[in-house]
Amino acid sequence: MTRLSPFRIRQIVRKEVRQLLRDPRSRPILFVAPVVQLLLFGYAVNTDVRSTPLAVLDLDRSAASRELVDELVAAGYFETVIQADRPRELVEALDRGQALIALEVPPRFSRDLASGRGAAVQLLVDGTDSNTGTIALGHARRTILAYSLEKGGLGESLAIGPRLEPRAWFNPSLESRVYNVPGVIGILILLMCLLLTSFSVVRERELGTLDQLRVSPVKPAELILGKTIPVAVVALIDLALITAVGTAWFDIPLKGSPLVLLAASLLFILSGLAAGLLISTVSKTQQEAFLTMYLVLLPSIILSGFFFPIHSMPELFQWVSFLNPVRYFLEIVRAIFLKGAGPVVLWPQFSALLILGTAGIAVAIRRFARSIA
Amino acid sequence: MSEPAATRPAVRVSGLTKRFGAFTAVDDVSFDVGMGEIFGFLGPNGAGKTTTIKMLTGLLHPTSGTAEIAGLSILHDLETLKSRIGYMSQLFSLYADLTVEENIDLFAGLYGVRGRRFEERKAWIVEMAGIGEHVGRLTADLPLGFKQRLALGCAVIHGPPVLFLDEPTSGVDPVARRRFWDLIFDLSKAGTTVFVSTHYMEEAEYCHRLALMNRGRLIALDSPATLRGSMVEPLLELRTDDAPHAVEVVKGLSGVLEASMYGRALHVLVADERAATPVLSEALAGAGLTLRSLRRIEPALEDVFVARVRAAGGVE
Amino acid sequence: MSRRRLFAIARKEVIQLARDPRSLVLAFLLPLLLVLVFGYAITLDVRDIRLAVLDLDATSESRRLVDAFAESGYFSVRRRLERYGDAEPVLVAGQASAVLVIPRDFAADVAARRGAPVQLLLDGSDANTATIAMGYADAIMSGFAADVLPIRDVFLAVEAETRVWYNQTLESRNMIVPGLIAVLMSIIAAMLTSLTIAREWERGTMEQLVATPVHRLEVVFGKLLPYVGIGLVDVALASAVGVFLFGVPLRGSAALLLAASVLFLLGAQGLGIFLSAALRSQVLATQAAIMVTYLPSLLLSGFVFAIANMPAALQVVSYAVPARYFITVTRGIFLKAVGLEALLGSLIGLAIYSAIGLGLAARAFRKEIA
Repeated sequence: MTRLSPFRIRQIVRKEVRQLLRDPRSRPILFVAPVVQLLLFGYAVNTDVRSTPLAVLDLDRSAASRELVDELVAAGYFETVIQADRPRELVEALDRGQALIALEVPPRFSRDLASGRGAAVQLLVDGTDSNTGTIALGHARRTILAYSLEKGGLGESLAIGPRLEPRAWFNPSLESRVYNVPGVIGILILLMCLLLTSFSVVRERELGTLDQLRVSPVKPAELILGKTIPVAVVALIDLALITAVGTAWFDIPLKGSPLVLLAASLLFILSGLAAGLLISTVSKTQQEAFLTMYLVLLPSIILSGFFFPIHSMPELFQWVSFLNPVRYFLEIVRAIFLKGAGPVVLWPQFSALLILGTAGIAVAIRRFARSIA
Repeated sequence: MSEPAATRPAVRVSGLTKRFGAFTAVDDVSFDVGMGEIFGFLGPNGAGKTTTIKMLTGLLHPTSGTAEIAGLSILHDLETLKSRIGYMSQLFSLYADLTVEENIDLFAGLYGVRGRRFEERKAWIVEMAGIGEHVGRLTADLPLGFKQRLALGCAVIHGPPVLFLDEPTSGVDPVARRRFWDLIFDLSKAGTTVFVSTHYMEEAEYCHRLALMNRGRLIALDSPATLRGSMVEPLLELRTDDAPHAVEVVKGLSGVLEASMYGRALHVLVADERAATPVLSEALAGAGLTLRSLRRIEPALEDVFVARVRAAGGVE
Repeated sequence: MSRRRLFAIARKEVIQLARDPRSLVLAFLLPLLLVLVFGYAITLDVRDIRLAVLDLDATSESRRLVDAFAESGYFSVRRRLERYGDAEPVLVAGQASAVLVIPRDFAADVAARRGAPVQLLLDGSDANTATIAMGYADAIMSGFAADVLPIRDVFLAVEAETRVWYNQTLESRNMIVPGLIAVLMSIIAAMLTSLTIAREWERGTMEQLVATPVHRLEVVFGKLLPYVGIGLVDVALASAVGVFLFGVPLRGSAALLLAASVLFLLGAQGLGIFLSAALRSQVLATQAAIMVTYLPSLLLSGFVFAIANMPAALQVVSYAVPARYFITVTRGIFLKAVGLEALLGSLIGLAIYSAIGLGLAARAFRKEIA
């Protein structure tokens, strides 16, 4: 094995950069799209359930019933979108999805309340969105319980029993955005790496230019390096852009060291590039590469703990997720951003990324060298 | 054309074989190519020309057999070999989304052509391809003839002693093709060995020697003149009012070795001209066809190849 | 439009697809695999939250409280801590999502009815799990309180009778699977078509097709038909897996589901054709298809993230995301058993979308040919 030639690597890098930047239509994909996606994710990926549309059927129309509805709306969890006159309208509102929760106050509500017999209200919840349903139901029950205790003169009775004092660290207001935005960084970097490398080899093979490179003295490893270095640089620029927008626009704190973040990103990018190159090497056509990319992309997002907690998954998937570099990167990114953690705490995740990244690149280069030898 | 003196062969192929599963694409092929020779590689599609060239340029591993190019083995010295050969494929394979100049820069870089030599070579390519005014243009926007000359320039940017061209002129007009061949002649005169596959007969005539392949085997190897002279049987050109019908009638007559259509005429290869003439006229008259003319002609290369391919068992 | 020419193109497309078995397998395998992975792996139901316990009281009372947490099924006790200072490193390293701190005088305070406070420290960096964990912990604590205090007979002035409709157990799987069908379709449809057309441009076979007396609508429809077919098979496969493997109820009309799928697929694939004809490069068409279909249909469709929770501007944008309408339809049919009447709005949305998609596709062709 002769030594790699930095000069030849530079030739390939220059060619790749020129091709990447040549098409004016692809430039926004490199640098603008990730930021747009971050904004989209930052606003859309929001699991805080607020302003749930509420339909109200108040058959009592008393001061007491209005007070109850006001209590529900006041906390900001609900927003009355429909004032119904008949039970049928409540059903329709839920069927059509205009309201996700419905409150029915019976005609004798205030009388029952005053008489001390105990009043009842009915809550109808649309369970199709189980997430919103669960959380909204919890909010409603808590509000009604508080109302009930107050009306029953039992406001202090719970003070004498044992009680829970929850305190959330790192994100006291428990805003989901603070949790989600750092995660988005990982997803977007993975997406960029895959988008830019999955086609790089298979495209040249389809166009015939790969053979022209293969008859030249350029070595497979030089070719791979030349093709991946520009992508890594693009990914790092995107990282900086997204981090800047995330901290400046969404006020996400970056408590840890940017250098540790950079180091982790480099390791993570290595895995992303390896995956992209492997896809590109095993695919015969670009279409195939594209489908394979999806086949890789979706499970890596789902099994990363980005939206869905890993510890709630079936055991098998928890095991599979140990092979997913995204999982480790998200743990690192969140810990760096929100907890200010450093390598002392994060060394297991760093080692996992290092192992997966180097093993991945080694396999990709081997597979590539074999496919063109 | 005179045959250049060959001291040591530029290409020596011995027993080269390539199998894809049960299919044998190249079957035990051996031959030598002399230094500075223009060596033509002919044969129907699927005869194994491209596969052979791919093995010689290191793009494919031979199943068995070997070859030496400029004294270097394609099995053991591939890395060194790569800087001694140039290759241009039938697919136009420069980067369409790079400019002319960027393509030249890239391949110069890959072959390690730098400094003053790079400037010289670059100027030479620009001049020989006649692309002086186009250097800043995207390669995709060039006419095909320019693209092909540019591809040739990039393939020889490092001045390789041996150049492989796999159907380099497919799809270009005759004028551009002739211009391309002038470049090949120049390279050959300067000492480059040119190994070129083609299916244009007029291009075959330009070659010093020709190898004819069919079904993976080498079925003829000689200079164009010798090959033409190798056909000792007389060739008759026959014209009737219905050539397709006439082929059916003539084929299988006693004394007729071959019959095929050439435009609206028939070329008929016979064992003996005198014996065959009456047989042909009678058979045509019997089938209700009018014989317009019948004369002996000199065989063209195409006739030689058609005859050779048929004799070797026909096309797959 | 000539039906014969249309079918000739459709047949060519089918033959090319059939010759590319890997792509074909992927076209069917991909959705199946994703439904399986999503169906099993995606659960928003939080279980087994990793809990560390710092029991400074170490009495039978405090142990009962820890047991109450451990036996709830929502928490699993992973670590026992010795000092308060241990809590932070455990949370920073992510070894636990929550730390339960029981103070020294817990049992005594309970007995004296002094209101014994118990601390729950949560890893707020995972806001999702933390919120849910807090809710569970609250419930466990109330149960514990009710046990140790005789407040069981506390009279409630207002009783809230709750009924959950369509998905009584509030299982996230019932929410995910019908939505998933829509998300998968939007991705796969645009992807397959955007590639096939761009491939024809790249290989120059499109010029050949254009040179024949084929009308552009025939090309568009001819190319679409096989992919609509694949899309429908995918819908059927995904639905079958959802119903038979995951027990998601299909309460409404399958025919209506099919009809809505056709509308949706036509629109998505028309868009794919438009992108690939406009961009002419497989790589660009792919990247654009991802940006235009993948992310919006994942994020702005209400698939996982409720549209009602988004900022107003984004809610407006979501009206332009066709997957939003399709998800409303699939969930409505699967879970709510509603019919044409309730879904009319969404179906009209889908129809408009498919008209726009096809219109764009046809226009892109006219421009190219001229």
